[in-house]
Amino acid sequence: MTVPLLELRDVTIALRGSNRRMVTGVGLSVSVGEVFGVVGESGSGKTLLTRTVFGLQDDTYLAGGTVSFAGRTLPLDGYMKAARKLLGGEVGFVPQDPYSSLNPTMRVGEQITEALYLAKRMPMNGTATRQAAIDVLGEVGIPEPELAFRQFPDQFSGGMRQRIVFAIALAQDPKLLIADEPTTALDAITQRRVIELMLDRCRTRGMAVILISHNLELLRQSVDRLAVLYGGQLHNIAETAAIGHHTIHPYTEALFDCIPSKGKTLEDIRAIRGEPAGAGFGLKGCAFASRCRYAEPICVESDLPLNSAAQNGFTACLLGRGAPQ
Amino acid sequence: MSTLWTYARSNIERTALIVAALVILMALFGGLLAPFDPLKIDFRSKILPPSPEHWLGTDGSGRDVLSRLLVGAQMTLASTAVVLVVVATFGCAVGIFSALVGGAVDNMLMRLADVWLGFPPLILALGFAAALGASLEAAIWALIFSWWPNYARLTRMVTVDILSRKFIASADALGVGTGAKIFRYILPNAFDVLIVQVTLDISAIMLAISGLSFIGVGAQIPLPEWGAMIADGRSYVANGWWIVLAPGLMIFLTAFSFNIIGDMLRRELDPTSRRR
Amino acid sequence: MTYAIQRIAFSILSLFILLLTTFLLSHVMAGDPAIVAAGPNAGAAKIEALRQQMGLNDPIFIQFFIYCGSILRGDLGTSWFTQQPIAQDLLRELPPSLELVLLAMLINLAVSMPLGLITARYAHSKFDDMVRLVVMAGAGLPVFWIAILLQQIVAGNWGLLPIAGRLSFANRSFSGPTGFYLFDSLLAGNVSVFFDALAHLLLPAIALSLLFTAVGVRITRTSMINEFRKDYVTLARAKGAGEARVMFRHVFPNGATPALTVFGMQFGWMLGATVLVEEIFGRPGIGRYAIKAVTQSDIHAVVAVVLIIGVVFLVANLLVDILVYALSPRKQRAG
Ligand SMILES: Nc1ncnc2c1ncn2[C@@H]1O[C@H](COP(=O)(O)OP(=O)(O)OP(=O)(O)O)[C@@H](O)[C@H]1O
Ligand code: SF4
Ligand SMILES: [Mg+2]
Repeated sequence: MTVPLLELRDVTIALRGSNRRMVTGVGLSVSVGEVFGVVGESGSGKTLLTRTVFGLQDDTYLAGGTVSFAGRTLPLDGYMKAARKLLGGEVGFVPQDPYSSLNPTMRVGEQITEALYLAKRMPMNGTATRQAAIDVLGEVGIPEPELAFRQFPDQFSGGMRQRIVFAIALAQDPKLLIADEPTTALDAITQRRVIELMLDRCRTRGMAVILISHNLELLRQSVDRLAVLYGGQLHNIAETAAIGHHTIHPYTEALFDCIPSKGKTLEDIRAIRGEPAGAGFGLKGCAFASRCRYAEPICVESDLPLNSAAQNGFTACLLGRGAPQ
Repeated sequence: MSTLWTYARSNIERTALIVAALVILMALFGGLLAPFDPLKIDFRSKILPPSPEHWLGTDGSGRDVLSRLLVGAQMTLASTAVVLVVVATFGCAVGIFSALVGGAVDNMLMRLADVWLGFPPLILALGFAAALGASLEAAIWALIFSWWPNYARLTRMVTVDILSRKFIASADALGVGTGAKIFRYILPNAFDVLIVQVTLDISAIMLAISGLSFIGVGAQIPLPEWGAMIADGRSYVANGWWIVLAPGLMIFLTAFSFNIIGDMLRRELDPTSRRR
Repeated sequence: MTYAIQRIAFSILSLFILLLTTFLLSHVMAGDPAIVAAGPNAGAAKIEALRQQMGLNDPIFIQFFIYCGSILRGDLGTSWFTQQPIAQDLLRELPPSLELVLLAMLINLAVSMPLGLITARYAHSKFDDMVRLVVMAGAGLPVFWIAILLQQIVAGNWGLLPIAGRLSFANRSFSGPTGFYLFDSLLAGNVSVFFDALAHLLLPAIALSLLFTAVGVRITRTSMINEFRKDYVTLARAKGAGEARVMFRHVFPNGATPALTVFGMQFGWMLGATVLVEEIFGRPGIGRYAIKAVTQSDIHAVVAVVLIIGVVFLVANLLVDILVYALSPRKQRAG
């Protein structure tokens, strides 16, 4: 088996100050060129997990576990300095909100040439740099890249801005791109278009992608494997192709039940009962227990199994639901 | 008072509370404690350095500096209190009125407040003093005149916020009258914000009052107002440093303490500043 | 465009209220202007003649109209104590004060901006807590008191800087076309006068700037903290930008703009606060002039100072708003 590109083992994340555990015992691995999905309801800790692992979140820290990138285990200091060094070269980010993730007072072109400078030491004002920036703007489907190069972010629509943010990441040619719900702020059609374009460009370059979303339908159509996060716990890792072919984890099942699809009327959709547990649920018991229709006393009494070896088909369910057969 | 004490998170904040309490006590009872007549001139004992008899020395006219400080506390603090009470009450009324009426009147009033807020209060006070004659009362009027828009703006903001909340809609549905709305919902909710602002403004007003007295348009010179005392002691600063140092330190310590307390209150009471 | 119209309308409204205030101060609250103008010991007949001559028997709004007219023509009346047109007095007194305020503002910006930026980056750290304490202390310092102490200690006891005045005795005959000695001396190529003027400016400027700097640090910090929370900062870090680049290239240009508006307002307030320091340092200027006018009960001179400082305030704010507008990306798109 090849070495995974990114591997998390037993990762636990806590708040600075109060030391409250927000994310507990998450293990997963992403291999080279793979498109990996992370799904979970709002507040389940998706953003917290990825941002903390790469040292982008300053009010949380990695309280336990190991992180390795391309076979190298990163030292666990409080601020993930080593992981931050990977940014802008090995790892790229596309943040959640396209409206606020571009610097409003910097021209689009400069934001890209800066990325080129930081990743490849290309001179910021060089003609080659400029051309590379314009090329990448064209590549993400900006209509008039040369004009866009000179414009400011507020002159673009949300969809276009998201493409620009993506262009910034793409310009740096990272091995791994982390896209945190890159399209929640956009309408459904634009959403799909931007994601498809993004995944297409990444696949042709052989970049691995971690695509974070609450939109399970979208993920199912675009990712190879899926990790399901709930209440700061990792509940399930499954190959998308396999989902639906055998019994699945109760929470994943509930999520799928929420997707409207052909042949299903709105009445058929079973919304998940109760309020979702936010990140910070803690260690003891299954975070989903209060809403799970299969729940038994053991679900609140035992600890979830830690999944240090994040193998495929992993299920955290204490009743063994969702285990591959 | 005891709640205030529980808010304090550090020794600095506790010290500030103690200093502020002492200064307030001084303003209330300082006159009784003064060992000498603060106005009695005695040229035989002028510019005496601090000694067991005159703890803080005497000034250029032989008056006891400590006694003057103790009596002056009342002038400086009472003037500050008067300004703040009037300004907060009036500004609050205008703010609530503006928010309740809304529309063009609201717009006009707030524009007016914007214009007003800008002008340097010190200079406006100077104009007042020139028109009304220089006195502590004129200085107080001037500060009231220039400070109220702060509170009108603040109260309006809070009121608009409260009016947009759910419980007001249900109060409306129940037919709660405007007066009841003001006293039951708006004022109690606005109180925290106002008290924070008042505490933070104490130092600014105090500095303004003493500054006006210093330049001769507030309390007039033989009076033991702290700013006036500094003006009076200026000519002796080279050979009687205590005359200037003592009142200045009092102003500074009081203002500093109230700044710390205001900061603490904001942390504890203002939800928008609680981000940790 | 609508922004520009609104902004100008606001300036005009402000100017109108300013004029109304000064009119009320000098013509209504100060008592009968005829008695004021006639001076002490004037007889009833003379006062009545003056009333007629000054148009004081006209309706009040006509008087206000006439007042505005003369102000707009640059006629501020004649000073009681200098016996000169007040406009002329102000033109003479304004440059030294502006020079002082500009230097104080420079000190303010030079301290506030970096300190605000750094404390925002390391918000709630030990360093931030310490700066916060110092700032609260600074905001409690009486300007005039610290001015006296600085003068006595730094200039008097240590002899490091001149005690008072604008220039040393040796340079007393220096004068220049603008009245800004720092500028005039450079214009004349006279470096020694430049440094002499600067040395005389330093203490008053420091004393004047302390209080405003304390506020400036806080404002800048708040404004920068808001920027640090935004996603573009995360993106910059995700691009691999170091903290220095994040702070100076990304956060600072965005966070400086809101702070700038406050600094614009501070300019007018500082000019007002010259009344607290100019007298102490024996510097000519508008603040000292105002105090003299107050003690001489020269109501028109005082009100003229109120007016001129109000106008400087309005102009400073307008300039800052124009600057902010010019710096905003929206504007650059059009240009
Ligand atoms: N500093 C903090 N203090 C307390 N709670 C925090 C802090 N930072 C994050 N949280 C909480 O952690 C939880 C996880 O947040 P996160 O942004 O990771 O969720 P998410 O899965 O990305 O949700 P979304 O889909 O809405 O983006 C949230 O419930 C949030 O309220
Ligand atoms: S552990 Fe229990 S509560 Fe949790 S998913 Fe499995 S069955 Fe449901
Ligand atoms: Mg998120």
